[in-house]
Amino acid sequence: MLRRASLRYHLRQPWQAALAVLGVALGVAVVVAVQLANTSAERAFQRSAEALQGEATHRVSAGTAGLDEALYTELRRAGIRPCAPVVAGYVNAPGGDPLRLLGVDPWAELGVRDAVASAALEVDAGRWLSRGGMAVLFKPEAERLGLGAGDLLPVEAGGRRHELEVAAVADPPDELTAEGLRNTVVVDLATAQAVLGRLGRLDRIDLVIPDGEAGAAVLEQVKARLPEGAVLKEAGEGAAALDEMTAAFRLNLTAFSLLALLVGALLIYNAVSFSVVQRRPLLGRLRALGVARGQLFRGIVAEGVLLGTLGTLAGLPLGFALADLLLDLVTRTISDLYFVLSVRSVTPAPGVLAMAAALGVLVSGVASAGPAWEAATVSPRTALERASLEAKARRLAGPLGIAGLALGGLGAALLWGYGGGIVAGFAGIFALLVGAALIVPWAVRQLAVALARPAGALVGTPGRMAARGVASGLSRSGVAAVALVVAVTAVIGVSVMIDSFRTSLTTWLDSTLSADIYVRAPAQTGETPPPLPEGLAAELAAVPGVTGVGTSRRLRAPSEYGEIRLRAFDHGPEGDAGIVYKDRTAQAWADYRAGEAVYITEPFAAHHGLAVGDTVAFRTPEGERRMPVAAVVRDYATSQGAVYVSRTFYAESWGDGVINGVAVYAEPGADLEALIGALRQAAQGQGQALQFRSDAEIRARSLAVFDRTFAVTRVLQLLAAIVAAAGVFGALLALALERTGEVAVLRALGLTPWQVWGLELSRTGLLGLMAGVLAVPPGLLLAAALTGVINERAFGWSLQLSVDPALLAKAVALAAVAALVAGLYPAYRAARVAPAEAMREDG
Amino acid sequence: MSKALMQLSGLSKRYPEGDTERVVLDGCDLDIRQGEALAIVGPSGSGKSTLLNLIGAMEVPDQGALWFASEDLARLSERARTLFRRRHLGFIFQQLNLVPTLTVLENLLLPLELNGTLDADGRRHALALLERVGLQGRDASFPEHLSGGERQRVAVARALVHGPGLLLADEPTGSLDRETASVVLGLFDELRREQGMTAVLATHASEVAAKADRSLELRAGRLQEVAPA
Repeated sequence: MLRRASLRYHLRQPWQAALAVLGVALGVAVVVAVQLANTSAERAFQRSAEALQGEATHRVSAGTAGLDEALYTELRRAGIRPCAPVVAGYVNAPGGDPLRLLGVDPWAELGVRDAVASAALEVDAGRWLSRGGMAVLFKPEAERLGLGAGDLLPVEAGGRRHELEVAAVADPPDELTAEGLRNTVVVDLATAQAVLGRLGRLDRIDLVIPDGEAGAAVLEQVKARLPEGAVLKEAGEGAAALDEMTAAFRLNLTAFSLLALLVGALLIYNAVSFSVVQRRPLLGRLRALGVARGQLFRGIVAEGVLLGTLGTLAGLPLGFALADLLLDLVTRTISDLYFVLSVRSVTPAPGVLAMAAALGVLVSGVASAGPAWEAATVSPRTALERASLEAKARRLAGPLGIAGLALGGLGAALLWGYGGGIVAGFAGIFALLVGAALIVPWAVRQLAVALARPAGALVGTPGRMAARGVASGLSRSGVAAVALVVAVTAVIGVSVMIDSFRTSLTTWLDSTLSADIYVRAPAQTGETPPPLPEGLAAELAAVPGVTGVGTSRRLRAPSEYGEIRLRAFDHGPEGDAGIVYKDRTAQAWADYRAGEAVYITEPFAAHHGLAVGDTVAFRTPEGERRMPVAAVVRDYATSQGAVYVSRTFYAESWGDGVINGVAVYAEPGADLEALIGALRQAAQGQGQALQFRSDAEIRARSLAVFDRTFAVTRVLQLLAAIVAAAGVFGALLALALERTGEVAVLRALGLTPWQVWGLELSRTGLLGLMAGVLAVPPGLLLAAALTGVINERAFGWSLQLSVDPALLAKAVALAAVAALVAGLYPAYRAARVAPAEAMREDG
Repeated sequence: MSKALMQLSGLSKRYPEGDTERVVLDGCDLDIRQGEALAIVGPSGSGKSTLLNLIGAMEVPDQGALWFASEDLARLSERARTLFRRRHLGFIFQQLNLVPTLTVLENLLLPLELNGTLDADGRRHALALLERVGLQGRDASFPEHLSGGERQRVAVARALVHGPGLLLADEPTGSLDRETASVVLGLFDELRREQGMTAVLATHASEVAAKADRSLELRAGRLQEVAPA
């Protein structure tokens, strides 16, 4: 019977229930979307890693320099099998689509990657041996590219064009393999070496080593044959490292999705508490009839859970649809920042759906517990009036504010007082946000009371009424303000963080891009750019208008910290002018130039706990070289970090003269477009298409990648703001409904509907304005936490906090406008209140 | 006999009720005389509040006219009716009387401010009225800190503060105990008579009706004179 009464109540207040359902639906949808996008990207990556790893247990590699192919012959001769050599890299298909070129020995693949072996062996052994340039495509890829056996597949790698002949189209053995080998073209080793410019070199040799003593003996045999600079490691390590690269990025997204759910929970709280307030007299009568407190408590919580369940049910499919949009943004960000990733569709993950569903229902239950307790404590003798409820809300505001301060303090301690990890950082942010939310009702009341007099002086009684209305309806206006403050805090925090990041990046780009034109061969993200032709730097230096050139060599090299990114620079005429130091020794530059020390980037220092004075050991073809760290430098190019070495040290240790970037310094006032034309002319005849980019173009492209990276964050921020606006709308509508009688009296006394509009909108605008102002301090704290703590813990970057007052003003204005927009309908309803409603109802 | 302040002729009002209509007022005729206290009595649901809403220009009749001076309130625009209420009427409701976000004094000053007549004299007049209803020193209190009787006394003062021509009271003592009701009613009657104001009271309390100069009973949508006891 009680359930029936409760159901009927909500059917009679459908808008309130609908808003609560919408809030949870949006919150759950965002969580589902982010998690599905994350898991789909992760799964695509894992599938690909698994398919490429096959049965291999171990892997021999030597970073970008690669292995001499003679090592493979030596290992086979020593009877170490299965043993499969691999040359792999990315090429561009027509239209610029990246394709993974997998160069293998078809027969050696047996027992390592059977799917690849059987595909490759569809081609005659004779044809493999007699002709180069043949490729095997898997059916889905062939269909996508519209190719069949015998067709030509033009590809471009490192600025050179090649034509491959599709020798066969193979059926993948199963769905998983098909997914894992998506975008893959199988070629023989020699073809891959020719296309990728790695003649005589192998990227790695995959091994299948049995467990136990026999395996250990084989490993010893392998180790004994490894040249200097080569390392033997477990096959899964590389994939795990790549996966770890994106972990912080994915965690950031998860945190944002939980914020949206938190705001959604406020909506449930609002809806359930409103329903309790409205039914207080009824609840009092039920208590008088003998309904126990526990029964009322359970009944109200059940209502919240029911609303939450409905919201969750709506949120799951909505999240699935939203995941499609997010997946594109997430994949693009990973491809921009980390490595080429191709994910075509969202993978349904029952675990994610179950987790989001449980979270939606649980959060709804927790959010309704407060109002349920309120309902359970209704006195059976008297139904409390609204005024006494507000008095109670006012009494609670102080202690809640103190609890908020304590929680905020705990958050600050987690963020700044104790060096925990990124999860502790997010816990600190959560505590900070909840702490700020708890302080809001008290602060709103103080502000509203303080503003009543000046508002009255400014616009008379309506101004006073607007300010006092905010203070007196604290149980409603407090919830609306909390929803707004949380959302605007997030907007300020994230916007200031993005702004600070952009400013830091721009400052760094301005310093580091000291040359005028940069030359390199095209390469995919995460791939080392291919070598430039020998003598290119000298040819470019001789072009009229060029005052000097610098060169760079980028590679991955084995070290005591695994495979690391190494940058070998010949800094050109500007010396270290382009380097932004964070910390260094007095002799840093001299030691670095002399090849007696290295520089490390901030993220590298953060990930490996290194500082100036520590050392880094490299495995070079000349043996292990341990070098002191002379400086920690700012570098926003990669969050995994890198080590800078001088060209002198590189030449000594790696013994090659390879370069893959040239920085060209032009005469002051030179026409860069014309100079690029002249440089192109000089580089012609090398047979390699090169990229010539001015410093301005690189800056613009870097900032474009930056903006794309944060596009997903902005989408999530917007969604959280929408949920908050729904919360404000619900709270204001509830407030307007409760104030019907008061408005009717005012109308009877002679207030026109327009004056009621003005009064209501002043109230909501004031509430929004106050929420905006109150969101500034926690917003700045959040920005400081995101820039100074989260970024440093997640990526190792220290960012300079830069606060643009215009941005803060915009955020405050946004809060006021959001409240005004959310208040339009409630104000419209209030203005339509008939003065006759002031009369008693039974006449 | 004094002249009529307001004339109601052939007033009808119906409300939809499911698929049918409920006739609340069915051709009521009434002259409200200048300076009189008129009680409208009748059982719950008889249409007393509806009649008061029409007299107070808060609703318009389906048929009939309400003449005030030379104007038919039934034909006025919404805005004109609002201005009419603001200038010429004073209200006392059963419960929802005071604006909770205004102090006692501000509640009294509100009609003056709405009429654009709030000045130092108006403020003095409001304070004097507060003293008359026995609430001197409570001008800065908010309604939530007053008892039910005190709130109704403020409501009486507010209804009179701008010197309206007609006072409308809907069950003015309905939410009060007998003793408090008697005090409030006495005060209302005394002040009304002092200022020579006309009043219409909707009530089903016999002691309220007894204070009136004339009583009319609303029955089946029509008004009938009740003989004095």
